[in-house]
Amino acid sequence: MHPIEVTNIAKSFGDVHAVVDVSFEVKRGEIFGLLGPNGAGKTTAIRILLDIFKPDRGEVSILGGPMSEEKKDLIGYMPEERGLYQDIPLERCLLYLASLKGVPDQEVRLTLGEYLERFDLAEHKSKKVKELSKGMQQKAQIINTLLHQPELVIIDEPFTALDPLNLELVKDVMEELRARGVTIIMSTHQMQQVEELCDRILLINDGKNLLYGELDEIRRRFSGHAVLVRAEGELPELAGVKESSTHNGDLKLTLMENTSPKDILKTLMSREINLEKFEIAVPALNEIFIRVVEEGD
Amino acid sequence: MKKVWRVALYEYKRNVFKKSFLLTLLSIPLMVAFGVGSGFVMTSLQDNDLPVGYIDRAQIFDKAIPAPVSESEEPVDFIPFQSEDEARAALDGKEIQAYYIIPADYFETRIIEIVYTKKPAENANRQWWDFLQINLLSDQPTEIAYRTAAGTDITVRSQDGKRTIADSGPTFGNMMPLFISLAFLALILMSSGFLMGAVAEEKENRTMEIVVTSISPLELIAGKLLGVVAIGLTLLVTWTLIVVLGVFAARLMGIGWFQELGMDWGVVLTTVAIATPAYVLVAALMIAIGTMVTTTQEGQSFSSIFVIFHMVPMYIAIGFVNNPANSLAVTLSLLPFTSLMTVAMRNLFYSVPTWQVVVSVVVQTVSALGAIWLASRAFRLGMLRYGQRLQWRNLFQAGQSGE
Repeated sequence: MHPIEVTNIAKSFGDVHAVVDVSFEVKRGEIFGLLGPNGAGKTTAIRILLDIFKPDRGEVSILGGPMSEEKKDLIGYMPEERGLYQDIPLERCLLYLASLKGVPDQEVRLTLGEYLERFDLAEHKSKKVKELSKGMQQKAQIINTLLHQPELVIIDEPFTALDPLNLELVKDVMEELRARGVTIIMSTHQMQQVEELCDRILLINDGKNLLYGELDEIRRRFSGHAVLVRAEGELPELAGVKESSTHNGDLKLTLMENTSPKDILKTLMSREINLEKFEIAVPALNEIFIRVVEEGD
Repeated sequence: MKKVWRVALYEYKRNVFKKSFLLTLLSIPLMVAFGVGSGFVMTSLQDNDLPVGYIDRAQIFDKAIPAPVSESEEPVDFIPFQSEDEARAALDGKEIQAYYIIPADYFETRIIEIVYTKKPAENANRQWWDFLQINLLSDQPTEIAYRTAAGTDITVRSQDGKRTIADSGPTFGNMMPLFISLAFLALILMSSGFLMGAVAEEKENRTMEIVVTSISPLELIAGKLLGVVAIGLTLLVTWTLIVVLGVFAARLMGIGWFQELGMDWGVVLTTVAIATPAYVLVAALMIAIGTMVTTTQEGQSFSSIFVIFHMVPMYIAIGFVNNPANSLAVTLSLLPFTSLMTVAMRNLFYSVPTWQVVVSVVVQTVSALGAIWLASRAFRLGMLRYGQRLQWRNLFQAGQSGE
């Protein structure tokens, strides 16, 4: 059984159908991307997952069954609407929120110290939350999500307001969590981060599944009939190539219908051309996102 | 349950360890102390214990009997002078505050002359007339003279004999049930304000979504309620200690008003019986408001409406004094918000019938249960509406919630 199994959930608020029919599974120890344009139903789906909203229909199994008060302690959640107690010192705020996850004060202090050091917030721990910058508050939110060492992390737009250094830091932390077997659901609009981090994705729009599966498989599915080549010197004219263009310093060769990438590779090898790179040209996730959403509309 | 205590402890510490809490803690005792203290100061400033002289040409004071003086005031000495010159010299030398001249034909004219540079104090004046009365009755046995001089002494008793107010006015013990009700009222309004703030704060800080994925909404509210009740008890215990110390000090100082402390415990129990569901009612409504508004400030302006409702009986208190059994008094005794103060004020000089107390407790309890339902619905509907106000009509519409 997977940590998360969502089957045909739907949720309406009056006349607004926020989620129409969404189904997916998240495997243990993977980073799962929940994607979709604004208003697609991602936040509602997450809230149903966390039992904040009850679905009108469909079923949710989280960590092996329905949500319970005990399971809440095993989940770390960073919602889209960021929130920390603004009028109290950062350390007190994080210790209190961790205590609500059932972690004793003494136990959590050590982990908190490590996180504060790692996220460069140790010297700000006595400051009131409202005195921290937006980026610092974002890092504090991430610490709050992870402090009680959850089995399942649900994190909405984790990279907002982060500078490149901190963005890398957060990505490192997420990869470490995955390596430790923690399951992560990440909702973001930053497709580059999804490409770098996610194992599988679900793209939803208008409350319905649009695209679901392994990231590599999806990209292959959307790849055009083209290859990316980088070689020493200029490439000769090749039979079966319909069009060539440059793409990020590489040569993108669009192939004729009766030509396969294998044919081109064979030709290049037979001509003893020194290849630095040869790969099937797959579209960026961003392009797939736009294409699928536009086709869906 | 552990999490409930954690929320309670957090709420308690967050409010109690603020400088502004000290002000709240001391506000009521300081207000009462200021009121009582300024009364005593004003009275003592008006008093003047300097002796008063007299020239007795009618020979009333040949065998002068001292005037009766109440325990709470200092006796003023009355000094006889043989001539007006002597009396005038004493007045100019500020040895006396005034002198009276009783002419030889006093028994015919009943006229007495008074000479002063500054009008004598009220206590001196009062004691002079008592002194004169006693000595005019000197041919009577002493106890009859004193009793006659004391005048009428009417003790007002309620029909069931449970309320007694002496001619000198209600004692501290008589007033105690009213003070207890006022303390409860202050407690209800203050602590429910804390509760409203505690809920609105979660919305204002946008922490609600994180918190409800850590603990159930019921545990969250229970924890906040416990924390606020603990704050209320801190206030109540502190106020009680201050009052007990104040009364103890006043009794040691011999202040008459505090000597009679006999209390009707039935009235105290009635107050507690009505105040308890009244507290739950207001607390639940404050939770509802806290989840419906967008900021704590907005919530405070809403909650002031409840303060006004609670104050209604005080505005029309004179109606209860004239007739504590009139239909308005009975109606206000039964209604939510007005019941606590109305019953307390009527109980000062009237025994509120048991059936009215029972109906009031039932009405308060049913209203409190309704308010709890409303609060739970408002909480479910309003908790994630950051920056948006929930309308009252939304609470009664189907299909609005994320339930």
